[in-house]
Amino acid sequence: MSSSFRSDVGTDPCDSVGDDRWWMASASDRGSSRGEIDGLLQGAGYRVRSTDLRHVAIGLEQLESAMVGDQCAASSAEAVVHYNPSDLTAWVDSMLSGLAPDPNLLRHPQSTATANAWADPTRQRPSSLHRLENHQQHRNVPAVSLQSMEEEEDAAIRLVHLLVSCADSVQRGDSEMAGSLLDQARLALARVNTGFGIGKVAGYFVDALCRRLYPPPLCGGGSAANPEILYHHFYEACPYIKFAHFTANQAILEAFQGHDRVHVVDFNLMHGLQWPALIQALALRPGGPPLLRLTGIGPPSPDGRDALREVGLRLAELARSVQVRFAFRGVAATRLEHVRPWMFQVAPGEAVAVNTVLQLHRLLGDRASPEGGDAAAAEPIDTVLAWVVGLKPKIVTVVEQEADHNKPSFLDRFTEALFYYSTMFDSLEGGSHRSGGHQTQQQQTVVAAVAEAYLQREMCNVVCCEGAARVERHEPLARWRDRLGRAGLRAVHLGSNAFKQASMLLTLFSGEGYCVEEVDGCLTLGWHSRPLISASAWRADDDASPPRDHQTLLVLQDHSSSVVDGDDHLQPAA
Amino acid sequence: MQIVGNFDPHSPPVLPIVDEKSKKMNPTAFYSSSASSLLCVMAAQMVVPLNTWVLISNFKLAYNMLRRPDGTFDRHLAEFLDRKVPANATPVNGVVSFDVLIDRPNNLLARIYRPAPSTASAAPLLTDLYRAPSSDPFPVIIFFHGGSFAHSSSNSAIYDSLCRRFVSLCGAVVVSVNYRRAPDHKYPCAYDDGWAALKWASGEPWLRSGKDAKLRVFLAGDSSGGNIAHHVALRAAESGIEVAGNVLLNAMFGGNCRTESEKRLDGKYFVTIQDRDWYWKAYLPEGADRDHPACNPFGPKGVKLEGLPFTKSLVIVAGLDLVQDWQLAYADGLKKAGHFVKLVYREQATIGFYLLPNTNHFYQVMEEIKNFVGSNLL
Repeated sequence: MSSSFRSDVGTDPCDSVGDDRWWMASASDRGSSRGEIDGLLQGAGYRVRSTDLRHVAIGLEQLESAMVGDQCAASSAEAVVHYNPSDLTAWVDSMLSGLAPDPNLLRHPQSTATANAWADPTRQRPSSLHRLENHQQHRNVPAVSLQSMEEEEDAAIRLVHLLVSCADSVQRGDSEMAGSLLDQARLALARVNTGFGIGKVAGYFVDALCRRLYPPPLCGGGSAANPEILYHHFYEACPYIKFAHFTANQAILEAFQGHDRVHVVDFNLMHGLQWPALIQALALRPGGPPLLRLTGIGPPSPDGRDALREVGLRLAELARSVQVRFAFRGVAATRLEHVRPWMFQVAPGEAVAVNTVLQLHRLLGDRASPEGGDAAAAEPIDTVLAWVVGLKPKIVTVVEQEADHNKPSFLDRFTEALFYYSTMFDSLEGGSHRSGGHQTQQQQTVVAAVAEAYLQREMCNVVCCEGAARVERHEPLARWRDRLGRAGLRAVHLGSNAFKQASMLLTLFSGEGYCVEEVDGCLTLGWHSRPLISASAWRADDDASPPRDHQTLLVLQDHSSSVVDGDDHLQPAA
Repeated sequence: MQIVGNFDPHSPPVLPIVDEKSKKMNPTAFYSSSASSLLCVMAAQMVVPLNTWVLISNFKLAYNMLRRPDGTFDRHLAEFLDRKVPANATPVNGVVSFDVLIDRPNNLLARIYRPAPSTASAAPLLTDLYRAPSSDPFPVIIFFHGGSFAHSSSNSAIYDSLCRRFVSLCGAVVVSVNYRRAPDHKYPCAYDDGWAALKWASGEPWLRSGKDAKLRVFLAGDSSGGNIAHHVALRAAESGIEVAGNVLLNAMFGGNCRTESEKRLDGKYFVTIQDRDWYWKAYLPEGADRDHPACNPFGPKGVKLEGLPFTKSLVIVAGLDLVQDWQLAYADGLKKAGHFVKLVYREQATIGFYLLPNTNHFYQVMEEIKNFVGSNLL
């Protein structure tokens, strides 16, 4: 097996980089002595020792990072005097020592972003004298800082490799090897900073793999913390759920135009965070608000409370205060597939909206083949989508994670999750916290920490669980498009005003890394150009315009809840 | 290849698996507080060899320093940093090179590469250099180097290597045109220089071959050079000059709208949308947008190619090049206009894969070029 790191100007074709072990053989493997000049780069005019390639690569990336987003990078670079560009190693080193105001800053670029002139685009252009001072002052930055950075990078890279190798062993059923790799990963964790960045994310994944290999007595791979509390903190700490609610409400509002009686079915009520905004918007709509019915689905309350009803009452109170006629019904179900449409008691002439935020993926099963063909047998998702269509909804708002965490191969899922949750955690770290100032810095830190616990729990389910226990079966938007289309739903394009409002939401609440994008009538929200959550809208109603209902309506004050048991019987709540 | 929204689940970055026993040196990555960017860099480094990664990252960094936000360009530093090699009339691996002045008013130079004259033992005489390398038909490849219209020269080391390779590969005489660059010289200077080179070649008797003493000329280029090759070929078609074939390597095209590949690959493999925008602004006329036909030949302001005797094209596209959607649209546009296109799509190739001979992409694409030139020698 030949290596793509060959440094001799050879004519032998190398193995394709598709070979997943090609990178392992280094130049030293090929019998070339230490310190040999890379022949190919020499042909391009650069003299670099093969053994220095890594160091140069790290340095180039450091310089790149230092200059990203800096408007005056070019002019500042002009202050630097360059010597002998062919000696790439020396050139990179001299630029690094010229640029780094403080070697420690490069370790924690975030915390010192404003102090680091090169990373802050809003900072005033330093005067040429200042630039020169910087340059001279730091010419003597010792190489050891770069070296210790390299060591930490090495450790981080090794850690990632160990994680992926462990996942591979798990996939192959080699639990002994997996256990051994996991031990090594734990040791490697000790050599990285687990407070942020890749160290933190890797720590969570080590934990998850550990739970998979050595399941704790309580199954489920999650903490004992109340999921609703975790969710609420995640809602606070970053804009994903807010984006979901915002976008869905916009679509629902538009779909309800011209209808006097509307009925929203929420697949996961939680604290009903989405609905105050809709109620208020309906209150303000021209021509007056409709009669709004809300049916909220959620798990049964463990302690004899009727949590759904409590939320319903709070929303009813709000609705009353803004003079929106409102009725609530709770449907408690342990699993969504136990719910049946007759439980909603949709009245004829009602405009129905079905709202599902991060719920549909729970109805998926294992994918039949790597190519992605769906299982032949009807999965719960098909049943549920069938009755959703049967409701003839004016609008179905679907929000899902934009990731493929349902691939048949465990290794594929693991790698996907590694990238997805890394980006998620990055956004928590990098997104600035809410302006508005009603939270102290300390409170914000706590919120972020609990939000991380929410993500960790979700990620654990992807990594640790199988079969019915694995509910976090995220699939990308394109697959949902196919699926919903096949079920008989037609796409409703989210318009530019939804896009604009989503963008405005972001500038109000969050940091600069978030990006909203429009994809074929759907919206995605992501971090640094990686979409992480998608929102789409659908309909299955007949095309006929809504009938105008002039009858005097009874005001329904039915705030009762019903509990659904596994046998599909509706029982009144206690 | 199925593209799914902005995220392609069919090509998530693949991380390698460590062989426990070998514990070899890991490919490098950079330290960053951002977990996802470290993973992305690791993934990017998985698709190119380390020395390629260093080479292209070095260019990326240097080019970042040269482009100023106000649209000006640090030409002095650019020339200082560019690694250049002199022409060499002494055969090296059977290839010699020498510089010629093609167009005096514009100071237009070209470097000619050719097989070493058979009479030469050491240094050939000038008359030997200007003798046809063969009486049998041989291709003349007019080559336009890349650099996004702003960087590099015909004496840049990376392009000197590539041109020499073309000579050995195809038995060709290669004319590497040192066209005027942006932002100092905007559209249509580069195209005018390309046209001047084609006219010059047409007037050189030693470049003709075969019983019919014909100039068997190919236009080739990478990045901006590919774009130039198209526009010179267009002018040739409009003027009735026969071109045997076009070879477009990762050609530089664009347009006003943001394509899916641009959004998906922005910043992932050395190139950003932002830098592409800068180079177009630097090359296109003042006030023009990216739907200008120079940038977007099959866009709303494009010239109709139907019915023109436009040449055959070999279009090579790298699957990790963010402008691939434009390149694919170009190939499609040619096809729809009734012209021959051979599309070579290298899924895991990045920009610049043809600069170092260290991957399958390199060798297989060179083979494609050789076959294309050989079969269109007419």
